[in-house]
Amino acid sequence: MPELTYLKAISDGLREEMRADESVFCLGEDIGAFGGAFKVTDGFIEEFGEDRVWDTPLAENAIIGTAVGAAVEGLRPVCEMQFADFISCGFDQLVNVAAKLHYRQGLSVPMTVRLPSGGGFSGGPFHSQNPEAWFLQAPGLKVVAPSTAEDAKGLIAAAIRDPNPVLFMEHKHLYRRAKGEVPEGRYETPLGEARLAREGEDLTVITYGAMVLTALEATEDLDGASVEVLDLRSLCPYDRDAVLASVRKTSKVVLVQEATRSCGVAAEIAALIAEEAFEDLDGPVVRVTTPDVPIPFSPPLERAVLPQVDDVKEACRELLAY
Amino acid sequence: MSSSPTSDGLMEVTMPQMGVSVAEGTIVEWKKQPGDSVESDEPIAQISTDKVETEVPAPAAGLLKEVLVEVGETVDVGTVLATIETGAAGDGQAPADEKPAEEAHADEPAADVEAEAQAPAPQRTRAQATDGERPAPHGDGDGRRPERGDGGAPPVTPVVRRMAEQHDLDLSRIEGSGRRGRVTKRDVVAYLREHEGEAAEPEREKALHMESPYREEAPAVAPEEAPAAAAAEAPEKAAPQPQPAAAAEKAAQAAPISGGRELSVMRKRIAEHMVRSLRTAAHCTTIVEADMSRIEAARGRRSYLPFVARATIAALREHPSLNATLEGEVLTVHEEVNLGIAVSLGEEGLIVPVIHNAHELSHEGLATRIKDLAERARGKRLQPDEVSGGTFTITNPGAFGAVLATPIINQPQVAILDLETVVKRPVVVTDADGHDSIAIRPMTYFCMSWDHRALDGVLAAQFLSTLKRQVEGWQG
Repeated sequence: MPELTYLKAISDGLREEMRADESVFCLGEDIGAFGGAFKVTDGFIEEFGEDRVWDTPLAENAIIGTAVGAAVEGLRPVCEMQFADFISCGFDQLVNVAAKLHYRQGLSVPMTVRLPSGGGFSGGPFHSQNPEAWFLQAPGLKVVAPSTAEDAKGLIAAAIRDPNPVLFMEHKHLYRRAKGEVPEGRYETPLGEARLAREGEDLTVITYGAMVLTALEATEDLDGASVEVLDLRSLCPYDRDAVLASVRKTSKVVLVQEATRSCGVAAEIAALIAEEAFEDLDGPVVRVTTPDVPIPFSPPLERAVLPQVDDVKEACRELLAY
Repeated sequence: MSSSPTSDGLMEVTMPQMGVSVAEGTIVEWKKQPGDSVESDEPIAQISTDKVETEVPAPAAGLLKEVLVEVGETVDVGTVLATIETGAAGDGQAPADEKPAEEAHADEPAADVEAEAQAPAPQRTRAQATDGERPAPHGDGDGRRPERGDGGAPPVTPVVRRMAEQHDLDLSRIEGSGRRGRVTKRDVVAYLREHEGEAAEPEREKALHMESPYREEAPAVAPEEAPAAAAAEAPEKAAPQPQPAAAAEKAAQAAPISGGRELSVMRKRIAEHMVRSLRTAAHCTTIVEADMSRIEAARGRRSYLPFVARATIAALREHPSLNATLEGEVLTVHEEVNLGIAVSLGEEGLIVPVIHNAHELSHEGLATRIKDLAERARGKRLQPDEVSGGTFTITNPGAFGAVLATPIINQPQVAILDLETVVKRPVVVTDADGHDSIAIRPMTYFCMSWDHRALDGVLAAQFLSTLKRQVEGWQG
């Protein structure tokens, strides 16, 4: 199997779906002639033409609204938000229209929205956010956040083929940093299934997206402790069984997310654990997150707010010693 | 608050004022003995007034020093029942009533606590440092939690507690490797592995208490409740038998024990009230039969009771003479309907919480109030004022399948309505054209006992006919 970057894996997955299914098309800002701000769709307009690779105006509401209409009519649009942060402009079409059409009218909305997200490169407050939790409160949407190249390709395919609107959180910091062997040809990583990134006995770190790398690095050699790392991959629906099985095994849980702290994925999973696995806990459920602040431009300040390897180490050590 | 601090770190626990009409109370049980540590608001005694049984909470954490009123004694409101030692003498830095007792009595020397607090705090994670809201897994600074009263050991985690119960382990025998000696899951697993060969006691089947969260597990209660005489007698009677093996034989012992048992305070009160009512009122019972089809259709899966209560209130508004109390030779007819609902507490007894101003409520409002009062009655959380001032009472043994009964009037009221079970019966119905046919209808009997001193049979029958009309013509 060839070793690919996360970026190339997304690009390949998208291209292969477009080749296999004529109803799949892309739309977004600068995705055509320019090949996308991060070059995910580089070469697409040459291969598929302007009819299937649309350069749109700077209007996220229009991009998502157009995609909803196309999806209802049977196409499978893939929208790119140039930065995940910009999706707030398209919020209404997404949470009030796309998310509710099946509930209200029985219509399927097989669309995908790609959200280049996350910080770590001094992008500042408008280009560094992880807005996934907003969408966990809009029933009808699915949300995925791959951490490996293999899952990035498999999940973009699954997102495109799913009959529901799916938000695909692609972490910008992983684009060129995450590399791995990626199967050739089309395949699907199932939605709603977590991946055991590392098995362990003493403590579980539950995380997703770029923080999987942080967690793996932090716990690779932690004073000899055997630390399990669970990569959620899908945030909505998420893999309750995998979470609970791991908690029952290790009885100690650290939740790591790059998103801000309040009401996030980590909070949701902490609540699940409290409800379903209270009697299996051997210590408090601990979160390591970005505090509830905007992301600063300044590199030292940004490092200070985003969870770092040492933060995860510290939290794990504290809990192991509890 | 039923307590007052004294100058020397002692807190007095007094007989609480429970509602305006209560002047005295009886100690039913001491839940704590002198020397026991108590937490703030932890129930330390069970008391009974002539209206309700309730608990006396500890006004502060500390050690129960002295019990001044014995079980069975009845004392006035405000009498000192016990004293609680709230803090070590001389340690007057914190107000006595705010100081957790464990701190004073912990084995851990105070110096040790200081040392830990002053040690350089471990480097906080960045996320934590900036928002400071994280749960503190370690005991730095303010993160120290109140500890249990077992000598300063850190709280047991849920999984360790569960494993200890499952395997019947004494946690004090396991050396803890966690912070401050906490026994971790890992320690328990290691201990179990080490002691694998030793025949552990077979897992004891826990008494189920799922159906009733209020019922205590049997072994915890039985020995205390058995009067000394009966307890001494029991082994003699069982003499030919081999010595019973404690828990397993409890059932066998139950018969002789209950034979010599004194009535509970509640049962004594009920006995007294019932006999007094029979002696006082000229009881007479009138019965009507009613077709419950309309209510059956309206109620869905809900109880009949709130519907019948609503219809009863409507009938009482039409016949206010039944919404009355008779004290001596003075009859008072009440404007508002304060509806008593008999709530069974199982073998313990019966209590009649009152829905004040019930005439202002719809059947839905009544249902909510009945549910709330019944729940709190079973949880012994009723206020005395919630069981007084009734003007009419409904009792509902029909829920348990009874067909007819002659209830005893709840004094000083003049009538009590008994709702019996609803049974499908063949009845003759007459259609609009006057043709008769036999139909299957959900039928019930409304049995009302009334006081012939206050009213006569005609009025009772009229009232019941109105009730029947209300029920059969239920409009929702």
